[in-house]
Amino acid sequence: MIEQSAAFTPQFAASSIARNLWLIPAVPMVASGIIALLKQPQRKLASTLAIGSLGFSLLLSFIAFAHVLRGWAHGSVVRETVSFTWLQFGHSAVDLGWVLDPLAAVMLVMVSFVGLLIFIYSVGYMAHDENFTRFFCFLSLFAGAMLGVVISNSLLLLFMCWEIVGLTSYLLIGFWYQKPAAAAAAKKAFITTRFGDIFFFLGIVWLFSQTGTLLFYNHGIGSLEPLSLAVLVTQHAGLGLSAAGAIGLLIFAGAVGKSGQLPLHVWLPDAMEGPTPVSALIHAATMVAAGVFLVARVYPLMAAGAPIMSIGAQPGGTSVALTVVTWVGAATAVFAALIAVAQNDIKRILAYSTVSQLGYMMAGLGLGGVAVGMFHLITHAFFKALLFLGAGSVIHGCHEEQDIRRMGGLKVDMPLTFITYAIGMLALCGFPIFFSGFWSKDGILEAAQHSSVIKGPFYLLVFGALLTAFYMTRQVCYVFLGYWRGPKPAYESPMVMTLPLVILAFFAMALGLIGTPAWPWFHAFLEGRAAEFSVHSLIEPGFLLLMATSSLVVFLGLGFGWRLYGEKSPKPEQPDALEKSVPWLWAPLRDRLYVDEFYGVTVIAFYAWWGRVADWIDRRVWGGIVALVAWIFALWAQLNRLLDINWVDGGFDKTCEELSEGGGLLASLQSGRVQNYLRILAVAVVALAVILFWSSRP
Amino acid sequence: MNYSDLFRATLPETALEIAALLVLVVDLGFLRKAALQIRTTVAAVIGVGGCIAAVSAVYAAGWAGFSAGSDLLLAAGGSAGVAQVAILVLTALTLLLLVDSAFTRNAGEYVSVVLMAAAGGLIISAAQDLLVIFVGLELLSLGLYILTAFNKQSGKSAEAAIKYYLFGGMSAAFLLFGFSYLYGLSGSTSLPKVVLGTYMASANGGAPLLYIALVMIAAGLGFKIAAFPFHLWAPDTYEGAPAPAAAFIASVSKVASFALLISISHAILWWPAMLHLKGGGVTFTVFPAGTPQPPVTVGFVTIWPMILMDLSVLSMVFGNLAALAQSSVRRLLAYSAIAHAGYILLGLAFFSWTNASAQAILYYSVTYGLTTIGAFGVVGVVERATGSDKLDSFLGLHKRNPLLAAVLLVLFLSLAGIPPFVGFWAKFNLFATVLNGGWYGFFKGPLSSLPAEALTLVAVAIAFSAVSLYYYLQVLKRAYVMPAGDESPIRVHPVTLAVLLLIGAAVLVLGCFPALLQNWIASFYPAM
Repeated sequence: MIEQSAAFTPQFAASSIARNLWLIPAVPMVASGIIALLKQPQRKLASTLAIGSLGFSLLLSFIAFAHVLRGWAHGSVVRETVSFTWLQFGHSAVDLGWVLDPLAAVMLVMVSFVGLLIFIYSVGYMAHDENFTRFFCFLSLFAGAMLGVVISNSLLLLFMCWEIVGLTSYLLIGFWYQKPAAAAAAKKAFITTRFGDIFFFLGIVWLFSQTGTLLFYNHGIGSLEPLSLAVLVTQHAGLGLSAAGAIGLLIFAGAVGKSGQLPLHVWLPDAMEGPTPVSALIHAATMVAAGVFLVARVYPLMAAGAPIMSIGAQPGGTSVALTVVTWVGAATAVFAALIAVAQNDIKRILAYSTVSQLGYMMAGLGLGGVAVGMFHLITHAFFKALLFLGAGSVIHGCHEEQDIRRMGGLKVDMPLTFITYAIGMLALCGFPIFFSGFWSKDGILEAAQHSSVIKGPFYLLVFGALLTAFYMTRQVCYVFLGYWRGPKPAYESPMVMTLPLVILAFFAMALGLIGTPAWPWFHAFLEGRAAEFSVHSLIEPGFLLLMATSSLVVFLGLGFGWRLYGEKSPKPEQPDALEKSVPWLWAPLRDRLYVDEFYGVTVIAFYAWWGRVADWIDRRVWGGIVALVAWIFALWAQLNRLLDINWVDGGFDKTCEELSEGGGLLASLQSGRVQNYLRILAVAVVALAVILFWSSRP
Repeated sequence: MNYSDLFRATLPETALEIAALLVLVVDLGFLRKAALQIRTTVAAVIGVGGCIAAVSAVYAAGWAGFSAGSDLLLAAGGSAGVAQVAILVLTALTLLLLVDSAFTRNAGEYVSVVLMAAAGGLIISAAQDLLVIFVGLELLSLGLYILTAFNKQSGKSAEAAIKYYLFGGMSAAFLLFGFSYLYGLSGSTSLPKVVLGTYMASANGGAPLLYIALVMIAAGLGFKIAAFPFHLWAPDTYEGAPAPAAAFIASVSKVASFALLISISHAILWWPAMLHLKGGGVTFTVFPAGTPQPPVTVGFVTIWPMILMDLSVLSMVFGNLAALAQSSVRRLLAYSAIAHAGYILLGLAFFSWTNASAQAILYYSVTYGLTTIGAFGVVGVVERATGSDKLDSFLGLHKRNPLLAAVLLVLFLSLAGIPPFVGFWAKFNLFATVLNGGWYGFFKGPLSSLPAEALTLVAVAIAFSAVSLYYYLQVLKRAYVMPAGDESPIRVHPVTLAVLLLIGAAVLVLGCFPALLQNWIASFYPAM
C-alpha cells in the first residue's frame, strides 16, 4: 500500500490533480457568486455559467477518478492529501485540506455527473420561472458546497461545506417562498438538520480536544489514522463506549439529521415543496447522501475497537457505534417504507422511499463496511434521480398536478417518461439481474445475513424490500396505467428534460455490473484490493439461496401491488384498495404514523412554553434592569447638563473673553478650544503621574 | 560608524526622499502647464513608484541594521521590517486615493510631503535610540501638520492644522523632556542601555524621576497614537484634513507609532528575556555579584505597563462612548480610532517576551490601517457627492452605488470585529496574546499583572467592541436599510474604485485565511 501525501507548500510530491482538487468545488462556487450579480433577465448566461462550471468540475472529477484508478491498477491505494494551516493560536493550529482517495473520487464523479444532468434538466423545468437566475445561483452554490464536503480532508472544512449545503437546501426548498407550505418546509428542514448538527459539532470539538487535529489523514498523525484511533479507543466515555465510539455517534447524529434517519426524518418529505429538480438533486441523489458519505468517511472512527470488517462474509464482533448505525438504518428502512405505502403525492412517495433507502445504506455501512453502503449510495443516486426527474416530467406534463389519484394512463401520453420511469422503479424495487438496485441491495442483505451478532436487521430489511416493491407498483399503476383522470390532457416533456432521463436510465441498469459478487469491482476499488472475476462466488449455494429469497420477495411485492391496483384506475374520491381491505392500518400510515403530531405535542410544545417563559423573564426581569440603567444614565446626563451649563460653559466664556482680549490669529478660529486642549494635556500628565505615584507606593 | 552601512540601512528612506524630490522636479519643472488631473496622476504614480522601490529596499536590507559603536541605532527585520513594508504599502494606497481628489492644485508638493512623512515613519519603526526616535517623530509629525492644512480653500483644514500643530508641539516638548530625564538617569540614549541604566538609577533613589520621565514620554507617544487623554487633536484633525491626508494620518502614522512602542517594549524586556532564556528561572538578577538584591526593583518593567494599561482602559471606554454620539462619520472614525488604540495598548501592556505579542499588535495595526484607508476613501467619495460627511449623507448608498456600499459594509464590519473579516482575527489574536500573559506577570511587585487582571481587561475590551458595533451599524443602517431621499447614482473614479475594491477584497480574503498574514508577518522574524 503506497500512501502519498503533500503539504500546501509542495515539500511532498502530490500529483497535480490532487494539488488542484480544490478547483472542483471552487469553480461552481465562484460561478454562483457571478450569477448572484447577474440581473433577472440574463437567464441564458446564468444557466450557461452554472452548467459550464459544473461541466468543468465533472471533467476534473473524471481526471481525478482516472488518476486514482491508475494508481489502483498499479496495485496501490491512492490517498493524496494537501493541507495547510488555516489559523494558528498559541500552540494549536487548525489545519484545513483536501484528500483524493477512492471514496472521494467515486463521490466526485457521481455528484458532478448527476448534478450536471439535473442542471440541464432544470433549464427546461424552470424555463417559465421568473427567478430563473436566482435558482441557478443557489444550485451552483449547492453543487460547490457538496463537492467541498466530498473532498474535505478536515472535519472542520467538511462541517463548513456541510453547513453551506444546509443553507442552500433551505434556500432551495423555500425557493417558492410565496407558498406558505414551502416556507414552512424550508424552515423545518433547516431547524431539524441543525438539531443533528449540534451533536456533530460537539463531536468535532471533542475530537479536536482529544487528538489536536481535525485532519482525517496527515502522514500518520491524522485523526482517522491508527495513532489517534489507538488513543481514542483506550479512553472511556461512559455507557460502555470508548471516546472513539462516542465521537463517532455524535458525528452520526449529524448524519441522522442530514440523511433523514429516524427520528429526524420528518423534514425530508416536507422538503418536496421545493422545485422537482431540487428534490432530485438535493433530496435524492446528493445532499441526503452526504450523511451516509460522512459515516463512510469517518468509518475508521466508528469501527475502532472492533475487528475490521470487509465486504460481507466475515462474521465477527462489531463496535457499539456501528451497531447503533445498523439498527437506526434498518428501523428507518422499514418505517419509511410503511408510510410510503399510503401516500398519494407522487413526490412524497419518492421522498419516503428515499428515507427508506438511506436506511438501507446506513445499515449497509454498519453491517458490511464502507463499500457495501457506498455501492447502494451510488446506484441509488442514479435511479432515484431518475425517478425524481421522471416524476418532475409527469408533474410538468400534468399541469403541476402531484396527486397520483388524478393521473393515469400516462404510458400512452408520455411514452419515454414511462419507459425510463419503469426502469427506475424496477431498479428501486431490486428487480433481479438486470437492475443495479438488485445487486446493491443484495450486498446489504448478504452482509446482514452473515452478521452473526444480530439477526434482527436482516428480517427488517427483507420486509422493507417487500414493501418497496409494493408501494412502487402502486404508484406506477396509479400514474401510468389505467385511464387518464385529470381535467386537461397530459403531454410529453421537451427533449432537454427527457434526455437526462434516458442517460440516467442507462446507468440505473448498467451500474449493477460493477458490483456483482462475481466481479466486485466497486468494492475492490474502494477497499484497495484487486478485483477478481469468479463466477464461482455467484453460484455458491448460500448466495443463490439469498438471491432467490430476495427475488421472491420482490416478485411478491410486485404481485400484491398488481393484484390490488393493476389497471383499475380508482377515482380520487374512491377509497384506496388497501384502505378497503385493512382500514385500521391505512389511517395511521396515511397520517405518517403521527411522528409530526408527536413532535408537535412534545418538542414544539416545550419550546413554545419555554419561549413564553423567556419572554416573561425578558420583559419583567431584564427589561426592568435595562430601564433602571437607562434611568441612572438619564440622571447622570441631567447632572452633566447642569455641570456643563454652570461650569464648562462658564470656563468657555472666560476663554473667549481672554481670546477677544488677546486678539491675534486664534480669535478668527471658530473657538478657542485649543488652549483648553493644551491645559487638558498638562493636567493629564500631572494626573497620570499622581496616579502612578499613589498606586505604586510601597 | 560606517557611512556605507548607514547608507545601506537607510536605503528605503533614501528611496522615498529621492522620489519626493523627483515629484517636485517633474511637477514644477515639466508639468507647469499641464492639466491638474495629469499633474495629480503623475505625482501619485511617481510616489507609488518610490514606495515600491522602498519596499524592495526593505527586503534587500536583510537583518543588518545600523549601529554606532556597540549601540544599535536602526534595527532591521522583525517588527521594524513588517512595519516598514506595511507603512510603504499603506502610503501607496493613500497616494492612489489622491488621483481623483481636487482639494489642492499642488499635487506634487502634497505627494512629496507624504513621502517625507513616510520616511519619518520608516525611521521611527526602526529606531532604537532616543535621539533617532525624536528626529523621526518630528519628521513624521511636521509632514502631518502640513498635510492637514493642505486644503487651502477650507477654513476647517487650517483650523485643524493649527490645533494639531500646537498640540503636537507641546507633546513633543513633553517627550523631549522625558527623554532628557532618561538620559540623565542612565547616561545613554540607546534603548537597551537606558532600560538597564534606569534600573540602576531607581535602585539608588531615582525612581520618582523615572516616573515623571515615563509619564512625559507616555504623553508624547500617546499623542501620536491618539490615546485618551492625549487624543484631543484627533477629531478635529480627522474632520478638517483632506480625506487622503486623514487616511494617511489614521493609518501610516499609527502603524509607525505602534512599531515604535513595540521597539520600546522589546527593549524593556530584552534583559529579563535574556536572563529567562539563559537561566530558565524567573528570578530577576541584573546586578553584579555581591550587590544586595532589592526585593522589587522599580523600573521600566513595573511602571510602563501600568501607564499603558491606564491609557488603554481610558481610551477604550472614552473612544467607544464618545463615538456613539457623533453625527459626522469622520469624527466617528476619529473616536473609533481612539478606541482601537486602546485595544492595541492593551496588547502592549501585556507584552510578552516571545514574538507573539509583537506579531499580534502588528497584525492589528496593519489591518486596522488598511481598513481605515478604505473607510476614508469611501467617506471621501460620499463627501464629494453629497457635500458633507454627516451620517445622513450615507442614506441609500447601496442604491446610489452598490459596490461602494458593499466595500463600506465589509470595512465597517471588519472594524467592528465581525468574522469572516480580518478585523475579527486581529482582535482574536491580540486578546489571545494578552490572555496568554506577558512577561510582566513574573514580577510580583505591586504592579504585577495577574491573569485575572488580563481577563478582566479583555472582557472590558470585548464588551466595548460590542458597543462599537452600534455606531458602525448606524452608518451601515443608513447605507442599506433606511429610505433615501436622493437615489441618483454616485460616480466613482475607476482608480479610486479599484483601490477600494482591492482593500475590501483584502479584508475579506485575509479574514477567510487568517494564516496568510500571520505567516507573512512571522516570516520577518528569525526562527526562535
